[in-house]
Amino acid sequence: MASVDEARVTPAEIRKKGGERITIRWGDAHESVFGARYLRGRCPCAQCVSETTGVRMVHEAHVAPDVTVGGANLVGNYALHFDFSDGHTTGIFAFDYLRRICPCDVCSGGPA
Amino acid sequence: MSSQRITESQVLDALRSVMDPDLHRDIVSLNFVRNLKIDGTVVSFDVNLTTPACPVKDRLREQSRQAVLSAVPGVTDVRVNMTAEVRRPTVPQAMQIKGVRNIVAVGSGKGGVGKSTVATNLAASLARSGAKVGLLDADIYGPTIPIMMRSSRPAEPLANQTIQPGEAFGVKLMSMGYLSPGDQPLIWRGPMAHKALQQTLLTTNWGELDYLIVDLPPGTGDVHLTLVQTVPVTGAVIVSTPQDVGLQISMKTLRMFQQTKVHLFGILENMSYYVCPHCGGRDEIFGHGGAAEASRALGVPFLGEVPLDRAIREHADDGVPVVIAEPESASAKALDAAAGALAQQVSIQAWKNVPLTIVEE
Repeated sequence: MASVDEARVTPAEIRKKGGERITIRWGDAHESVFGARYLRGRCPCAQCVSETTGVRMVHEAHVAPDVTVGGANLVGNYALHFDFSDGHTTGIFAFDYLRRICPCDVCSGGPA
Repeated sequence: MSSQRITESQVLDALRSVMDPDLHRDIVSLNFVRNLKIDGTVVSFDVNLTTPACPVKDRLREQSRQAVLSAVPGVTDVRVNMTAEVRRPTVPQAMQIKGVRNIVAVGSGKGGVGKSTVATNLAASLARSGAKVGLLDADIYGPTIPIMMRSSRPAEPLANQTIQPGEAFGVKLMSMGYLSPGDQPLIWRGPMAHKALQQTLLTTNWGELDYLIVDLPPGTGDVHLTLVQTVPVTGAVIVSTPQDVGLQISMKTLRMFQQTKVHLFGILENMSYYVCPHCGGRDEIFGHGGAAEASRALGVPFLGEVPLDRAIREHADDGVPVVIAEPESASAKALDAAAGALAQQVSIQAWKNVPLTIVEE
């Protein structure tokens, strides 16, 4: 638990600002701010990423610009789940995945 | 007769020298000292530990007594009463099972390592130490808990859509075996198993529990994912045999817990060695030290070794865990020690856990 790698992918604080953004402060004090559309366009579920080829099918460009996060819940100890306003609810965003896609300038977004 | 009255702060200052060996803090700042009373030259207080199964209970009692006797002048007698209150790790309210403080999953890489036998004995041992314990048989397809823990009162569904758990040896029991008795198999696809586990977890009237032990099916499947996604599991125990092939497969289960951020309480080695009932010789059928070595390499606590003992099997077949049937036997003592080590790890985790919630800003 105490290792540096663990701290990087363990949230210390999770904040939700209305439906527009989710902010995670990580165990290493880094902060990631995720917009609703950014998250929706990086949903890791099997409808958004092809199960057979692993190729992303739904990109941020396909998502309505005004999409919001209706609800956010913790999944066990390891992930977040979002109810998006476009009715999409199947993604489970593991903490290490969220850290990988941190959109800040230093992390520069990771895989889209 | 001492001219000066003994004060509470003198006693508390003396007790600040007594450290909890696991939490690395003194028992006063941990708020373990309760009901402090000074009656003339006699001092009495409770030391409220984090588990009744604490393996260092007697040591802490003696250290507390000595600390006050030696550091506070005028004291003629110190009466220490050891109590316990199992702490709940801080997790979001909505996901908790009401009244359940700690959820401990017992898993293994493959079947046949004695996972259910270990789970029943850990549960019975913790209950005997005074803790409130529940045992959920999550092995939906091969439920064995109803056989290994003979319950005079099986679990039953109530009219209000909840389930009244069974009970045996002070342990509250729930198993699919109660709902589908006899030799009727459950022939279910994954989604049914998922639903069944969610229901048994959330609709059973567990009441107040210090520990809910969840006996998982072997391997890494639907049931495991459902468990870690439905409730905040405090941590997991991996049961393994010393055999390397067994361990390599145990690694998969271990990695699954790591990936889903379930804390590992440790590895317990079952069928460690065989003691010949005729000559008393010790035979290490599956090799020796495999699990201890693996836990060292992984930095995970080693919870102990349990021998391959005919008595464990016979009592399990009779429906009575060996820690109840033959508490003085070497096997029962090994299992009691493992339960104590587990309770210790749960207490440490309950203190370390940071609260995680989603805050609206």
